[in-house]
Amino acid sequence: MERAVDITELYAAHRLSLVRLAVLLVDDFASAEDVVQDAFAALARRPDAVKDPSKALAYLRVSVVNTARSALRRRRTARAYSPPHDLSPPTPEDSAVLAEEHREVIAALQQLAPRQREVLVLRYWSNLSEAEIARTLDISQGTVKSTASRALVALEKAMQTSRDSGPASPTSSGKEQR
Amino acid sequence: MSTTHDTSALEDRLVAALAARAELVQPEDLAPLATVATLRPRWQSPWVLLATAAAVLLVLGVVLQGVGGRQRSDDVAPRPDDPKIELELPADVGRDWKASPESTPARVDLDGDGAKEKVEFLGEETKDFDGRIRLQTTLSSTGEEAYGVADVASTVGAGAEGVVDADGDGDQELVVFDPDLDTSGGAPLVFDLREGLLVQVVPEDPSLLQRGDVQVPGSQTGLYDRVRVLQYWIEDGRLFSGRSEDSFARTGMTTAQLPGIVLETWEWRLGDDGVLRREAAGCKELVFDVQECDADSGAQVPDLTPATETVGVGESADITTGFPFSIRVEAGDPPVLVGEGQDGVTLRHELDGADPRVATVQPESIFSDGESLVVTSASDPTLVQLLVQRGERIVALDPVGEVPLENTDDNRTWLTEGGSVVSVTAVDDGSWQLWSWQMTSGDRVFALPGVTVCFDDVDDPTTARRC
Repeated sequence: MERAVDITELYAAHRLSLVRLAVLLVDDFASAEDVVQDAFAALARRPDAVKDPSKALAYLRVSVVNTARSALRRRRTARAYSPPHDLSPPTPEDSAVLAEEHREVIAALQQLAPRQREVLVLRYWSNLSEAEIARTLDISQGTVKSTASRALVALEKAMQTSRDSGPASPTSSGKEQR
Repeated sequence: MSTTHDTSALEDRLVAALAARAELVQPEDLAPLATVATLRPRWQSPWVLLATAAAVLLVLGVVLQGVGGRQRSDDVAPRPDDPKIELELPADVGRDWKASPESTPARVDLDGDGAKEKVEFLGEETKDFDGRIRLQTTLSSTGEEAYGVADVASTVGAGAEGVVDADGDGDQELVVFDPDLDTSGGAPLVFDLREGLLVQVVPEDPSLLQRGDVQVPGSQTGLYDRVRVLQYWIEDGRLFSGRSEDSFARTGMTTAQLPGIVLETWEWRLGDDGVLRREAAGCKELVFDVQECDADSGAQVPDLTPATETVGVGESADITTGFPFSIRVEAGDPPVLVGEGQDGVTLRHELDGADPRVATVQPESIFSDGESLVVTSASDPTLVQLLVQRGERIVALDPVGEVPLENTDDNRTWLTEGGSVVSVTAVDDGSWQLWSWQMTSGDRVFALPGVTVCFDDVDDPTTARRC
């Protein structure tokens, strides 16, 4: 029997990669940190949910994906009530600049349906297999395959649309979207 | 995933962009570790950790005792005589074959002298890349050539999946994956150096040494069948396989299995006669990998949190998750649902029932390639209707199968926040059978059986738990 997971060790070992995963899903550093914090908090509330470190990372990944999806849903709901300007101070990450060639891809990625974005991020950044993605998203491998295929088509289309309409999106300004 | 140059280039761009975006987040950007303190109390205390470890060991002891103490029916039943299995020595064919496409040579100590041989994989040239592979090497101990031949479903990517010492003689047997192109599973081919040849050894029961979903005989219903999950793996130079204790309903490429599959497992040991025989290896759980069973092993209950936001007559909403479109319900007799897609196409559909309510979460698990909606009624709590886009119109799906598409006291149906439409039907012992609705041919929809669940409060689906 493996030893019980140590959440502090997990936090130290995987927080950065999970925040990066969350950033790719929500494209907002502050939200990404919250998403990961919520995932660890959920694990802390249910320490018996995971017994060994290898399972814990997979568990946390599922939790991050689900929490990111909820965050996006909440953001849509709250958007109508948001003040016109975000007055919170910028984070160091906000000042980082993404190369133009990458900005176009990331901006297009954010236009995809959440499930499509999740499949692409897990496939092309997390390097998960189709089976692992299926387990993470609780969908069949066939759905992973078809979603990935459609997502790539949609991504290309979104990039083409962006090129046709010019650099008007918030993420094309040179700074990352908060 | 990609075959064309364009797609490959797009994938390369995507990989680079994701990596670059992720790299913008650096360790120094993260809030100080101290913020995790709120998470720590239950874990930081060494006493809690000690107590937890003690509890885990106690539970493990009970579980292992329980597992070890159980006598299975096939332990007491008379075993049939071993079937007569004959090893086939490889024919010396394929010397002129070329390296299998995308194959990688293996490094294996086949002769047990401590030095690894390089094993190359040559593929028979066929139109569809099916046929035979030839494994060939030069033994480090004698300098002689050794070879083996096997029929495989695909010669593409032929290579070693791992090495085992299944006979415990100190040298290594080579394990090659033979894919099954129909089921996306496959089986391991094990090669042992015998008489200077790489001989493919034979499992006594090949049906239990494979990977993939295997249909339960006689389980077809016309709408779905049932499968058991089989898996094999190599651990510490030993070959194991397992089969799920439960079977899972399957329709098309969708199965009702959830993370946490309990496996009955075996270790495969190689005899002098070249036969792999299985020995019971206890309970394991397949989650993301294969783990020891514990008290929590078994299928987890999916998130059944209901989607609660709906629009009625005179109201509208934008649906942005999944296929994006906007909806509104116009007054009339009957009221009319209007869906407007981003492509400018406007669809109109007359709604059944009084006081309709249209959910603002799409039932994406049923249909994701166009507008899809769940309609209920404020005045008729039993009504549940599933609508999907068909070209330039909206159609109501026709429910078929074992479970009615309705919401009653003993057949509760709702849309979850995650976009699944589920039903639970009451079972005599107080538990509930979970079903998930799936679309099938002819604009029909049916319920696929899942796990059994219990509720602390059946009126609150968020209280669902394993029984």
